[in-house]
Amino acid sequence: MAAVNMKYVELAKQLHPRLQRFLAKYPPDQILPTSTRTNTIKDGAKPNPFLPHKHPITGKWHDPEYSLRRQAELVKLAREEGVEELLPFTSKGTEERIRHRVEHGLKVRGTGVGQKVKGHLHERMLAARMEKRREAMLGMPKLVREWRKTGKSKWTKYPR
Amino acid sequence: MAKKVKSRMISVRLLSMAMTGFFYTFTRPRTSRPMSMLKYDPVVRKKVLFLEQKRRFK
Repeated sequence: MAAVNMKYVELAKQLHPRLQRFLAKYPPDQILPTSTRTNTIKDGAKPNPFLPHKHPITGKWHDPEYSLRRQAELVKLAREEGVEELLPFTSKGTEERIRHRVEHGLKVRGTGVGQKVKGHLHERMLAARMEKRREAMLGMPKLVREWRKTGKSKWTKYPR
Repeated sequence: MAKKVKSRMISVRLLSMAMTGFFYTFTRPRTSRPMSMLKYDPVVRKKVLFLEQKRRFK
């Protein structure tokens, strides 16, 4: 057992120093024995250093311990080392980013799931216009035949 | 004041019946009958019927 633990310790020491410091300061539940959980506040709830949190006594909101930029850097390091699941929830995490991209799409409005790009008016009307043109071309031989039969001088049906 | 004299020739617009919005413009005597002809529509790349559009003004 001790040998296995030593192996893990050795592995952990190979992590990037920034990740080591972070994991030492905010050890995830997965690698922490239940008896030695630290930095718990009420009811065993742990504040996420990546999210703003409300102080239980004063009721004031505190900023996250880590800025979004530093969160992103940590996530990037963790992803390279393959230990991203040890980090707490963050909006910079890979899964969360993918979920957001799927739901909301690109910065272009309307590229998410179940959304439509509005487009310019001429783009929205394109299908209707092509349909009208197709109908007109289908009726063209008949119209020409009628026009030939009637003759130029007697033709009265002029467009508006 | 004397009434303004109407010109003898008018320019008319012949509209494609393929509903492409393409048109040719011709001049014809005011008193003649409206124009109509088979002519090429580059949008549908075919010869189609062109009919004179009703004049909006007056």
